[in-house]
Amino acid sequence: MEFLAGLLSDAVRELFGFGDELRRILFLTLAVAGTATVIGVLVGVPLGAWLALTRHRLRSLVDVLVNAGMGIPPVLVGLLILILLWNDGPLGSLELLFTPTAMIGAQALLAIPIAAGITAGAIRGLGPAATEQLFALRLSGGRAGFVAGREALPGVIAAVAAAFGRVVSEVGAVLIVGGNIEGETQVLTTAIVQQARQAHFDSALALGMVLLIIVVLVNIVLGRLRSM
Amino acid sequence: MKLKYPEDGSQLDCVVDIPEGTRTVVFGPNGAGKSTLLRLLAGTLGDSPLDAAYLPQSTYHFRGTAGWNLGLGLSAEQAARARQLADRLGVGHLLEARAVSGGERQRLALARTLARPEPWVLLDEPLAALDAQDRMKVARVIVDAIGDRSAVIVTHDQDAAAVLGNHMVVLIDGHVRQAGAVHDVFAQPADAEVAAAVGLGNVLDGTVRVTEGPLCSVQADGATIWGVGDHELGENVRVMFGAETVTLYAGTPPSVGSARNSFIGIVTEVRPIGRFYEVVLDAGIPIVAMLTPGSLEALGMEEGVPATAVVKATAVRVVPS
Repeated sequence: MEFLAGLLSDAVRELFGFGDELRRILFLTLAVAGTATVIGVLVGVPLGAWLALTRHRLRSLVDVLVNAGMGIPPVLVGLLILILLWNDGPLGSLELLFTPTAMIGAQALLAIPIAAGITAGAIRGLGPAATEQLFALRLSGGRAGFVAGREALPGVIAAVAAAFGRVVSEVGAVLIVGGNIEGETQVLTTAIVQQARQAHFDSALALGMVLLIIVVLVNIVLGRLRSM
Repeated sequence: MKLKYPEDGSQLDCVVDIPEGTRTVVFGPNGAGKSTLLRLLAGTLGDSPLDAAYLPQSTYHFRGTAGWNLGLGLSAEQAARARQLADRLGVGHLLEARAVSGGERQRLALARTLARPEPWVLLDEPLAALDAQDRMKVARVIVDAIGDRSAVIVTHDQDAAAVLGNHMVVLIDGHVRQAGAVHDVFAQPADAEVAAAVGLGNVLDGTVRVTEGPLCSVQADGATIWGVGDHELGENVRVMFGAETVTLYAGTPPSVGSARNSFIGIVTEVRPIGRFYEVVLDAGIPIVAMLTPGSLEALGMEEGVPATAVVKATAVRVVPS
């Protein structure tokens, strides 16, 4: 019990110390996860609207891919990107391995299916009357997707929240493609892994608290938007 | 045209002949496939051969003002026409409103659909959500807005069918059972099921006992009925007449005029049908009569009361069974 209490007070002290190191990690975490979420939403939400409204013959295939993608282990996506970006790999000449760009790419791949799947579910959840009416309006594909997404806005906001939650809290993909290089590609989750491995539990716990605060704050903001 | 029921995957082949340039009413009981037929024509189930403006059975109001909803999918010119129609349908003042009632939503969707330029107009129960006193007014606006375009209108309401259509198709269990001018279908239903579907009320089976010119007398259970039809003596036939053609008297009338059919019996049931009442009289055979609420009260019709039902032979159709 004393051990735990000591850890907690050390962690809080560390948190309020808030050195340059932590500031750098926090900035990179928000930049990488934020950018990946924006890309994931920009691609995933229209993809989800298409899935919910289309009768294209590729629909069921894409549906399966999206559903599988929602549950794919981040470490697998990281491995895939690692192989692609490896020196001798197909995209090795880009020299992107162990850079924030590679981390954003991997996390965007994780965010897209989440955003698409939740958006598609929200639009389908509007019910057959809404879909039938939408067809009857004879809108262009893009405009129909916009009207449907607008109608299912609370669901689309939930999709944004879920996509951000997935990427900011994952460790597998960023660890593999970023390499957890201190001061360069270290984010909150990979920093926690490193601190925990070195038995610096107070630092690890402080980083964990920061991560928790970010997730809670983002969800409060999006929750407000949803209820508007 | 193939009717597919997405709910249970069952499938029916059905030939529907819809003449171009007419307003065809598709009439039939619930579950006959009317809406499925319209969705096939509209292209929301499979690919449609038609270029059509379509009003679905359940209209949907998207979040936003009624004006925004009214203009969805329309060009500026068409939206102006939709606003004119909305005015005529009595919802022109609601354009800034965000919450509308079921009837208002129906009128707005109607205005938007009728303002579209397509050569075909498909309407699924266009008068369903409206109050009885407004239906005929709205029906006139619909007929006017369709103009000389072709239309297919699904309804299960006789008044709506008579006002909105000039051609009629009766659909039962996914099959076309009768097609023709609206009046002809109502006056001369092809068979008992069509008669029941178009709301004729009285359908009895019997045998021809006497023939006399255009008339024949049919023995049906405990009663004899005169009706119109050329049949052989002894032929098994079906007798049909509308509940609205039956005149009801309290007790026993002193004289029944030119009517050939008069049935004396006891009232066994009084049930409301829309804005009217159906009274069932047991006269050896069950006779269904339609009454206005006023007549029902004036005659004091209730269960157990003796009454006489009178029907002119010319209102009774006798068809082969």
